[in-house]
Amino acid sequence: MTRDDRVDAAAENAAAGDGPTASVPGTAHATDGGVTDPSAGGATEEVIDPTANEPDLDRGIIEAWAAKMITNPERAYRATFYVATVFFLVTTLFPFYWLFVVAVTPRNNLSDVGVFIPAGFNPGAFVEIFTTLPFHRYVFNSFLIATVATVAVLLVGSLAGYVFGRLDFRGRSPLLLLVLVTSFFPPAAFFIPLNRLFNTNVDVLRPLLSAGSLYNTPYAIFIPLSAIFLPLSIFILMTFYSQIPDGLEDASRVEGTTRLGALFRVIVPLSAPGVATAGVLTFISVYNEYFFSSLMTDGRPQNWAPMLEGILRFQGEFEVLYNLMAAASIVAVLPVAILVVVAQEKIVSGLTTGAVKE
Amino acid sequence: MASVKLSGITKRYEDVTAVDDMNLEINDGEFVTFVGPSGCGKSTTMETIAGLTLPTEGTIEIGGRDVTDLPPKDRGISMVFQNIALFPHMDVYDNISFGLRLRKYDQEEIDRRVEEAADVVQLEGMMDRMPSEMSGGQRQRVAIARAIVRKPEAFLMDEPLANLDAELRVHMRTQLQRLHRELDTTIVYVTHDQAQAMTMSDRIVVINGGVLQQVAPPLECYNEPANRFVAGFIGSPAMNFIEGEATEDGVESTYTQIDFDPDAHGVTPGQDVTVGIRPEDVHLERNADQADAPTKAFDAVVDVIEPIGKEVNAYLLFDRDVEASAEGRGEGQLLINLEPDTRIVEDDDVRVVLDRENVHLFDRESGDAITHSLE
Repeated sequence: MTRDDRVDAAAENAAAGDGPTASVPGTAHATDGGVTDPSAGGATEEVIDPTANEPDLDRGIIEAWAAKMITNPERAYRATFYVATVFFLVTTLFPFYWLFVVAVTPRNNLSDVGVFIPAGFNPGAFVEIFTTLPFHRYVFNSFLIATVATVAVLLVGSLAGYVFGRLDFRGRSPLLLLVLVTSFFPPAAFFIPLNRLFNTNVDVLRPLLSAGSLYNTPYAIFIPLSAIFLPLSIFILMTFYSQIPDGLEDASRVEGTTRLGALFRVIVPLSAPGVATAGVLTFISVYNEYFFSSLMTDGRPQNWAPMLEGILRFQGEFEVLYNLMAAASIVAVLPVAILVVVAQEKIVSGLTTGAVKE
Repeated sequence: MASVKLSGITKRYEDVTAVDDMNLEINDGEFVTFVGPSGCGKSTTMETIAGLTLPTEGTIEIGGRDVTDLPPKDRGISMVFQNIALFPHMDVYDNISFGLRLRKYDQEEIDRRVEEAADVVQLEGMMDRMPSEMSGGQRQRVAIARAIVRKPEAFLMDEPLANLDAELRVHMRTQLQRLHRELDTTIVYVTHDQAQAMTMSDRIVVINGGVLQQVAPPLECYNEPANRFVAGFIGSPAMNFIEGEATEDGVESTYTQIDFDPDAHGVTPGQDVTVGIRPEDVHLERNADQADAPTKAFDAVVDVIEPIGKEVNAYLLFDRDVEASAEGRGEGQLLINLEPDTRIVEDDDVRVVLDRENVHLFDRESGDAITHSLE
């Protein structure tokens, strides 16, 4: 039996097994040295199973099971892995499922909505959210603002990340600290000055924006949010860019790019996992942001009110349409879910090709 | 193809001077090697030629054109790096054609040139491999193909063989020489390995502490080193040095005395001098006829013997009281190089002679060479 076989067998056993697995890994460590590949040969045979020489020992079921785990810690690790995975899957996916249960519960049965099974089945809620309100417009607003913000953050963050990660200059550390400190402020602290600023009529903007002020425009959301999430991206990108060997940048510059060209042709592609991480974090943060999004517009979709504003529009003065809110929430999650799946593939492929190897 | 001219190149970092007033002219088609111990400024000098580092002072001309302020891409050079520096996210074809694609050559021309370059370094049929799937030698060949495909005016090679294993290094060394002959292009090569410098170059440039020590063909550096540093750095095993003082009739040190006429060799009696003698220019007294002009014999005792096959290295002590230093060199010690069939055993008492024709004298204070032969 090879090592892989053994792991597979252990996985099967563990998957079938039950009981207090949590206590096992600790004890397993102590016997690590005693575990050898069975194919290694006769000389080490005895060490494989310390109980082999004492076949007459009478063990209870739990004891026997624990002894098995000790001689074969891979099993124990497998078992804990499955327990942990199932736990996390339940805690993350169950709320999503319950959202679905609420969404398909007909409006009249909302008061006795169940935990596992919906009280009735009304998939029409997923259509109703678009007919009652232009919910697609809200989602589109959020999506567009988040996309533009992500592009802007990645672009500016790449330039800043390059400078902080790869160049050595006087005042580098204080400057980096300054950038990071701005991200430590509660975003709400910026709201009042920004709101005053965006409500001021600026004459030069008049030809571009109907009112001459930024209020009720996508810029009022996109500008502050980009600025708020920029420091984190700078930090992530800086860490990744600083890992790319100098030789690659030098090679690129000798071959015919400028420093900027080397950044976008060599450093960025090789830092794909970092860029994807920074991008996804920024996108999700901006897409889900509520505070600025709801206060920088008057809440009407044509004035670039974002997706969260749309969900909240389903609570009226006399009635809260929980089923529609739930359905809208599920629909709103879809773009992010798709993005994460796509980006994750990028992250994984970035890691497995051994891009930053050298 | 072009000449490269450095005039007064100085590179200073905050408080370190990496390169100090370097003046050098490299001829068209020449293979020149920068050699020196690590940290001597040879790589910095090359980076200033490439444009990756800007010199603090001085100008650089390539092919008669002042390129001091041009970015690397406009200097008409290409470079092979120590860590090979292939782009890991591109396959062989994309790596080689990178520079051509950036310069917007048309596709046919790119294909033709890439094929040609791949042919020179024997990389046919590997165009769609990724660098991570290749061996060290193959990657090195891709890097060389990438350098030659643009037909640059000069090649810069920064320790290109440093990361290869010993066998491959020797192989690539001959490959590079062949390549130089075929392409007939100016090559500037950087290495800390004096053996590579000796074997490949038309001229070698010995650098130490950012200062140029000697620029000469390899054998001249070996036979007529300009100063004590070059003498000690070029040649393996390295030259023996014996500290002494010039007298009316020669040079005297603790354990040796060599007769010569000081006036004829530009030595003033009383001057502190260093005698340099290469291991192969020391002979046992019984084989004194191997030396063209033997000195008188000195007593020594054999400390350690290293048979290498084609020769035997013997570490001698001039006196049993001398404490041997770890590296076997230093005051009172002498490394000699003997025929492989020489019968000699450790702890023997031997008498050795030096070959006067190859005794070097250096001024101890300045390190400058005074003479390279006492005949």
